[in-house]
Order: sequence, then C-alpha cells, then structure tokens
Amino acid sequence: MKTLRLIGIGGALAYRALFNWTTPAMYVGTLLAGPTFQLLFFAYLGRQLQVADDRFFIVGNAVLAASTAGVFGGTMAVANERRYGTLGHVLLSPRSRTVIFWGRVLPYAGNGLLITAFTLGMGVLLLGLRLPLDALPGLALALAAGSLACGFFGLTLGALGLRFRDVWVVSNVSASLLLLLTGVNVPREGLPAWMISVGQLLPITHAAEAARRFAAGEGLSAAAPQLGWELLVGAGYALLAAALLRIFEAESRRRASLETL
Amino acid sequence: MGSEYAIEAEGLRRVYRTRTGWLRPRREMVEAVRGVDLTVRRGELFGLLGPNGAGKTTTIKMLNTLLIPTSGTARINGFDVVRDTREVRRRIGYVFGGDRGLYDRLSGLDNLRYFAELYGVPARDQKRRIAELLELVGLTGREREPVDGYSRGMRQRLHIARGLLHRPEVLFLDEPSIGVDPVAARELRQTVAGLAASGTTVLLTTHYMAEADELCDRIAVIADGRIQALGTPAELRHRADGRRVVEIEAYGVPDTAVAALRDLPGVRETALEERGALQLLTVQSDAHVDVQGDVLRELAGIRLGRVNSREPTLEDAYVAIVNAS
Repeated sequence: MKTLRLIGIGGALAYRALFNWTTPAMYVGTLLAGPTFQLLFFAYLGRQLQVADDRFFIVGNAVLAASTAGVFGGTMAVANERRYGTLGHVLLSPRSRTVIFWGRVLPYAGNGLLITAFTLGMGVLLLGLRLPLDALPGLALALAAGSLACGFFGLTLGALGLRFRDVWVVSNVSASLLLLLTGVNVPREGLPAWMISVGQLLPITHAAEAARRFAAGEGLSAAAPQLGWELLVGAGYALLAAALLRIFEAESRRRASLETL
Repeated sequence: MGSEYAIEAEGLRRVYRTRTGWLRPRREMVEAVRGVDLTVRRGELFGLLGPNGAGKTTTIKMLNTLLIPTSGTARINGFDVVRDTREVRRRIGYVFGGDRGLYDRLSGLDNLRYFAELYGVPARDQKRRIAELLELVGLTGREREPVDGYSRGMRQRLHIARGLLHRPEVLFLDEPSIGVDPVAARELRQTVAGLAASGTTVLLTTHYMAEADELCDRIAVIADGRIQALGTPAELRHRADGRRVVEIEAYGVPDTAVAALRDLPGVRETALEERGALQLLTVQSDAHVDVQGDVLRELAGIRLGRVNSREPTLEDAYVAIVNAS
C-alpha cells in the first residue's frame, strides 16, 4: 500500500512540482497546438511528395505526439530537481529510488496518451481520417504502450542528468532522432540499415507500426508482435533508468558529483 | 543498537578531486575534512562552528550519508553511515538554510505531503503530523499558498517542518538562520531549543555566535578541516580569558592599518567586519595591557564612530581559535 501511494500520490505531486508545461498556455501551446501543426505539416508534405497516404502521417504523428511529454517530462522528473535544489532531500529518502522515479513516469505517460489521442482526433477532424470503431481499443493500447515507453526513455535521459548538467542537449537530440528514426514520418524502408537498427531500439517505433495495423482494421493478432516489442523496449528503458539512477547516485556519494546536494 | 551516542565520528576525512579543462585537464585535490573525531550524546544540542570552507557542510554530508568519507568511520545511533545507509536515513532529518530546496510551484502543504511520502510517514499519520508541524513552525493558514510567494523566513520554517516530518532522532541543521530576519531567527532558535528539550539530538552549524551560545550544550570549532576546540560555550569562552577587547566603529579602514595594529605590543587578534558602509574593528589584547590609545593613534586620519572596551565573548574566543589554526 505504501509503495502504491508513493507511485500514485508521490508521482502526481512530483508531476505538478517538476513538469514545466502545466500552465494552460504552455500546455496548449507546446503539447496540443505544436503536435497538431506538425501533423498538418507532414500530412500536406506527404501529399505533395506522394510518399504515403494521410493515415500514415496522422497515425505516425499521433504516436509521436506522446514523445514531447514523455521525453522532456521524464527528463524534467530528474533534472529539475537540480533547478530547485531538492535532489539532496530526495536522495535522503529511505524509500526505493526505483519506486520513486518509476512512479514519476506514470503521469507523463498518461499525459502522453491524452496528447496522442487529441492529435489523432485532430487528424480525424481536420484531415477526414476514417477509423473503424472496433480499431479504437487496439489503437488505445498501442498509443498507451508508446507513451509509457517514451516516459521511461525520458527517465533514462533524466538519469543522465544526475551525472551531466547539460542533459537538455541530449533530450533535444533524442527528440530529433525520434522524428527521424522511428518511422513516424519517414518510411523506415527508405532508411540506411544502421538507422533502421537504431530505430528498433527507440520508443514509439513499434507502437507506430502496431497503431497503423489497428487503424487499417487489422486485429490484435496482426499487431501483437509490434505491441510486444514496444512494451519490451519500454521495459528495457525502465530497467536502464533504474540502473543509471543507482549508479549515478552511488557515484555522487563517492565523487561529490551532485553540486546541488 | 544501544549506543549511548547519537553521533560518533572517528578520523573522518574527505578529499575532493576536481578536474577543469578538456584539452589540458588540470586535476586538483582538496582535503576538505582532515580527520574529525567527535561524539554527540543522545538528546544533546551540539554546535559545529567554523568559517566558510572550514569543512562543516562536508562533515554534515558525510554524517547524513550524502557523501562517503574518504577514510574514517561515522555512526548514527550505532548505524554505520556507509554500510547501513537506509537505517541511518530513517533516523535523520536534514535542514539547510537558503532559498532553495523546496518545490516552488507546489504549496507548502503539498511540499510536506510529498516529502511525507518520500520519508515513509504512514498515511494515517500524515494529516495530523503535517498539521502539528505547520502549527509548530507558524505556517498554519498559509499552507495552501504556493511556496514561490513565501518569504525567506517562511521558506526556512517550511524547511524545518520538512526535516521533522518523520520524527527524526537526529536532526542536522546546516546554517538554518542564514539570511533570516532577527524576529524569525529568534523564533527559529525557540523551535530548535524545543526540539532538543523533547529529546531530539541536534547538530547545528551556524555563523552566529550568539545563536550557538544560547542554544548549544557543546560546541566544536572546526577550521582547516580539523576540530580546533571542543567544549561547552563557557569552556570555550575561557579560551579568551586574560584578554580585553576594544571595538571601534570605523569607515574606510585599509588592510595596511589592520596589519599595523597586529604588530602593536599586547595585541593578540584583530578582526574587521563589514557592515554596509560601516566597519567594525575588533582588537583583542592581553588584559593587563591598555592598547586603546595606541590603536587610536594608528587609526589617526580615519573617520571613527563609537569606541567600546569590553570583556571577551564567545565570538572573541572563536576568532582567537580560528586565527590560531
């Protein structure tokens, strides 16, 4: 019960404390309007260049929309502790670091899911995408898996913030890599082999593929392998984040590397 | 663990290694703490005094598990700070001075709720405990306001409430009254005294001698990474026995004049404190030598204010100890 409270209540309070974009203007501008215009940009560009149909871009960008909240939110979940000078107090907690920080990912993942659903809705409204009703549960599952994986990916980047002060550089580069390598806007078949390999290990690559299958009316059995891969990638980042947090915390005690303690 | 001491440190030492530059990295080694031995009894209010960079905060960070000692050992209520980290953390609270260390966007109440979760305060006790602490630190009625709008004194009181959430047996207070106005500082001292009276062991670092004199059962003066003196405030004051102090308010005393004062016969210590435009010059001398006339002659041509001759205080003893280190 105490663990659940730390994940639930602790995660929600940490989200309000550390997420920079909670004000209505920042939230709407950064997390709703931005992804919608990005979706329109790629959809019209796709029409112009005849790379793929609208569904490819709408579903791809809807999945990608989760990444802003997840990647940057996950980073903020650790890195902003430096900004407030609270990291030392958090590290003095006798509770499990893994539970504390994994709990922080859930609100960002939920947020990502909300944003991704909004972006998909805008695709339906503005570009006339038709989705079979029975595809919606599967789509929701794929979007949720992508959002969760993005949150843990962001937490991994945030963990780097325990060691490197300029972790935002890594987050910015990562956001661009997600745009390029995950197949949300650039068909992966056209990418060099090494880029395809890197993309396999990034969040949302498999979620986008699974979501496209659901949106095309294919059932769970067709999308399940990609869904499974996405969950596996998310779990991998969750473990990597936990390991990095542990390593960097131990290092900070040895080397006094957290100047904000 | 049944140790009679709440805090035990033996040969505590901490070296920082720094590296600057990329192409030609320069490595430096700074020995911040050079073998600190101290014991603090359960329920004692113990002061750790020292100038900036003396090693106070590093010592506290080793005792509260945030830093691993380079060598030496330390125990909190019998638990080793390196091996039994979790057990130590359950038993300690840590409060430091300054504006940072709180979540500005959250209210005071939500800050406490969050740290109550982090420090494992049982859910059924949280509401009552938080209300008690808000009352204790005088923030009742302001707890729903964002911390962003809190004054420095309010932030400091919230820091203390946070540090006490899980009823720590040992409380580390690292310069808690820094930058706090005199009224808030007095309230803070009352709170700290109340905690010690209720059985909490308190290790306090401060720059304010009056604060240490009023509160502490014993004081250790640390300078250059070593404990230079340890005793009750009265015992430390005796270090300045046989001395006399002349205090002079002045404007624009050059360093050369201060150096010249040190060479006067009978002068033991000099200190110059800046107080805005005003400077407070303190000259300690042997009690049997009247140096006032000589001092005023050395300061001829400098604008002076009040001149006062008095018995030495704890602060004078502290200056003598630090200067001798």
